[in-house]
Amino acid sequence: MLVFVVRRLAYAVLTVFAVSLVAFFIIELAPGSAITAEISRLRAQGNVVSDQQVQALEEQYGINDPWIVKYGKWAGGLVTGDFGQSFAFREPVADLIWSRLGLSIALSIGAIIVAWAVAIPIGVYSATHRYSLPDNVITVIQFIGVAIPEFLLALAVMTAAVRWGGIEVGGLFSNEYRNAEWSAAKFGDMLGHLWMPLVVITVGSTAWLTRVMRANLFDVLGQQYIQTARAKGVAESRVIWKHAVRNALHPLVMTFGTTLSALISGEAIVSIVFALPTTGQALLQSLIVKDTYVAATLLVFLSILLVIGNVISDLALAWIDPRARTAG
Amino acid sequence: MTATAQISGAGLDEGTSSGTGGPVAPDSKIGEVSQRSLMLRRFRRSKLAVVSLVILLLMYLAAIFAGFLSPNDPAAVNQEYKYAAPSAWTWSGGPAICRVTQEIDPINISTTYVTNCDQPIPLQFFSRGYEYELFGLIPTDRHLFTVPEGRVLVFGADGNGRDLFSRTIHGAQVSLTIGLLGVVVATVLGSIIGTISGYAGGAADTVIQRVIEIIMSVPTIPLWATMAAVMPQDLSVTQRYFVMTMILSLVAWTGLARQVRGKVMGYASADYVAAARSANASGFRIVTTHLLPNAASHIVAVSMLAIPATILAETALSFLGIGMLDPAISWGVLLQDASRVDVLQQYLWVLIPGVAVVLAITCFQLLGDGVRDAVDPYS
Amino acid sequence: MTTHSSARDDDTIVSVRDLQVEFRTTLGVVRALNGVSFDIPRGKVVGIVGESGCGKSVTARAIMQIIEHPGRITNGSIEFHRQGGDVATSQLLTDDESAPADALTASGGIDITRLDPRSAAMRAIRGAEIAMIFQEPMTSLNPVYTVGSQIEEAILLHQTPDKEKARQQAVDMLRQVGMPNPERIARSYPHELSGGMRQRAMIAMAMSCHPALLIADEPTTALDVTTEAQILSLMRKLKAEIGMSIMFITHSMGVVAQLCDEVIVMYLGQVVERASVDEIFYNPKHPYTRSLLRSIPRIGMTEHAPLEVIKGSIPDPYTRVTGCSFHPRCPDYLGDVCRDVIPAEALLAGPTRHGAKCHLYTDEGRAALAAPAATRG
Repeated sequence: MLVFVVRRLAYAVLTVFAVSLVAFFIIELAPGSAITAEISRLRAQGNVVSDQQVQALEEQYGINDPWIVKYGKWAGGLVTGDFGQSFAFREPVADLIWSRLGLSIALSIGAIIVAWAVAIPIGVYSATHRYSLPDNVITVIQFIGVAIPEFLLALAVMTAAVRWGGIEVGGLFSNEYRNAEWSAAKFGDMLGHLWMPLVVITVGSTAWLTRVMRANLFDVLGQQYIQTARAKGVAESRVIWKHAVRNALHPLVMTFGTTLSALISGEAIVSIVFALPTTGQALLQSLIVKDTYVAATLLVFLSILLVIGNVISDLALAWIDPRARTAG
Repeated sequence: MTATAQISGAGLDEGTSSGTGGPVAPDSKIGEVSQRSLMLRRFRRSKLAVVSLVILLLMYLAAIFAGFLSPNDPAAVNQEYKYAAPSAWTWSGGPAICRVTQEIDPINISTTYVTNCDQPIPLQFFSRGYEYELFGLIPTDRHLFTVPEGRVLVFGADGNGRDLFSRTIHGAQVSLTIGLLGVVVATVLGSIIGTISGYAGGAADTVIQRVIEIIMSVPTIPLWATMAAVMPQDLSVTQRYFVMTMILSLVAWTGLARQVRGKVMGYASADYVAAARSANASGFRIVTTHLLPNAASHIVAVSMLAIPATILAETALSFLGIGMLDPAISWGVLLQDASRVDVLQQYLWVLIPGVAVVLAITCFQLLGDGVRDAVDPYS
Repeated sequence: MTTHSSARDDDTIVSVRDLQVEFRTTLGVVRALNGVSFDIPRGKVVGIVGESGCGKSVTARAIMQIIEHPGRITNGSIEFHRQGGDVATSQLLTDDESAPADALTASGGIDITRLDPRSAAMRAIRGAEIAMIFQEPMTSLNPVYTVGSQIEEAILLHQTPDKEKARQQAVDMLRQVGMPNPERIARSYPHELSGGMRQRAMIAMAMSCHPALLIADEPTTALDVTTEAQILSLMRKLKAEIGMSIMFITHSMGVVAQLCDEVIVMYLGQVVERASVDEIFYNPKHPYTRSLLRSIPRIGMTEHAPLEVIKGSIPDPYTRVTGCSFHPRCPDYLGDVCRDVIPAEALLAGPTRHGAKCHLYTDEGRAALAAPAATRG
């Protein structure tokens, strides 16, 4: 098992390295350099950019270096924690990332917990009451839940909150707490701002997971070992929860990576609409203003989040399924 | 027991159903029904999928005849109709709309609209309106319906007074095809790469699987967004459209390739492939005559299920301003108008293109499910 | 000529009467069992044979009350008599007060069809009194639990709450079914065992609570011939040691000949013939049974003589055949009487109880046979 963990971790590091190459490649693909775009943007805003400044910037980013040197500089910065300066946010990218990563991770974990906690029981109910009225209602809600784009749902929820709830939404804190010291009240205020985006992020994945759970469990319930358990005299609730659900979770854990990817994607878009300071929001914001090097750095960080999630899912799979243990 | 013990373990099933030329065949209808018509039969049974197919066909028809169905030029800006509400309908020897006049409050600099139904404006059918090219070829100015004066606004108007109904229909031309085309390209890519991976095996398989894993290790929307953002800014609408298609397919092929690989590996170990191989058939022949035709229906089903994600992606990216950009009309571009809560508060109809998105994606999901169930009833 | 549907030997463990099971599907109603009646004598092995889809497995699942949705028992009774007759039966009921009194039958047994499939009373019978093993050893054990823990689960449910004792008992059972190194097997997961080993583990699980009746649903069909022989000899041994009854479902006449005392032949959800194993092989009465036997090659048959095939195939399950269900395929078709009248079971003369549902042995059939040939179809 230890060998399995070590091998899986080494593999994850390699994957992150490969992802950083991909991210860098995409950025390099852009016609012109990120720096010219930035200079023209600064000039357009009325800033005076001297040739010396241009040179300094070019020096810093090594515009005229071969790509391998540029990659080395950028990747070296990634490893040492020196991510450069963000034009868009006017602060070091390092500060940008560390302050936002916490919220991103918290939202992702929160979303996963909510999605699983809702999807598993509903999926079990749906699979054990197939084609009943509640099952049909659940199915319809699922399809619509998957079909609504996150940003649209976010907009609709915000509008509804303002119109009928009279709540101001958006941002992480209310005005009075924005610069206040941390306190229970401030924390409560933050939670008050977070639950709505969390729900919006979770809806699509929950709907999808419910469908997966329903289909999986229904397949498992048709398996011979379920009849074996019933034939032993095991009570029906135990047949379902001990014998069936345990096996139906297996594909759910296997799709953990897909779920996490969808949640991170959703989080990025929803954070834009709700103006939440997350890594995904910073990435999209950087992309919108063409701050591409910062975007590449943030993209690598989001991928690291996903890769770690995949490692956890593989370990979880080995834990719940004895067959995966020996295969790994 | 001696005599009975002589009986071998021959099964009854073998003895009865597939005998040595007994009179079984004439009664049996098995084999007369083709695989394809069985699939069709199974598909027809899922009513939701059939209804979805009809709705989608109607949406695509609307996209094709967008110019004919639009009463107003979707690009025509008119500040007199800024955020004008959907027209009020009435009856005057036929369907008609009420007159609307704009009033500007000079103090708040806000506009209000006064509706007057005393002198309704009747609709004209198959009438002349703005000029457009049917199918992008035939110049004409015939429209299904127009009004002789003012503007008929079925869904209301956007912040520039443009007709949201006409824009939503025209948006379908981009939004309903970009995802579809992206998936088509992804399917071709995924089928080729997946087949190579599954059939060749060995080093090629390992490399391809690693590449897929790396692409899948990047969250989808951020990856799409990054690729879309590095697109050159000075592309024409058409160029942008095709680059978007490429971007969507560059990520979407991975999942399809995995599915195809799995299927190909399954079929490649089947006896008839071994037979073909022992008959010295070339690898290319085996793939094209045995593997791909078998996997085809499965590939179609998996591809259908991949369409919603690409449509959603185009909409989201365009909404963020890094996909299709304003002179282009797509549902995502239209929804940019809805990105401000204060606008949404007053002019709820700017969300109508979103309804089109949800409807299209729900239908694609149901259709995909129906096709999958028809193709793979046991999966 | 009598229909002995009310007669029951005292030494019967399960008597099934007029059992009907329907599956209501979206395509129509499938009548899987259409009035099935038979008895399983104590300490005997009863073989149930028939083609795929004739209702063998459904009968077994009906006795266990584990018919899958949307199937349900619509009529009939399944009377279960515990070991030692009526006294023990009442003990079972006092053990478990939730067993409804209306499930008790006049003869002191318990009618399984009247028990709620999910009730504690039914679960007390399942596994403890009647155990079952299945066709697919590869899939009949839960892949995520060890073999030992799955056997222990049954023991903990029915025998003892003591986990250590249950573990010991599970290992003992594995040893009894001939597992080498039973301690290690108990700690293994199903995917680490071969098909034959898994089937042995299944048998160990089924036997762990010393059931009065073991239902074996084609337990050797998925196994190779050598393993099949081993499993069959294991079952013979266990039957001799424990003295339980076995209901053995198979479509292999060879297996029937090796193992069974009595045979029940089923066709389209009905019992068409039942007799001792010797009677079935030497003196088959029903045309279907005869056809079955003629479709099997025997040593000593003329070389190149073609094997006989039963003409036609089983009708579409959604349509109902009138009269005798076998008449469209019957080589001894008598005409209208077979097409229109459902034959009652005829009890045939002989040393053992031998019943057949065929107009060859009914009064109506004989009358038709005596009539001019013109009336025949």
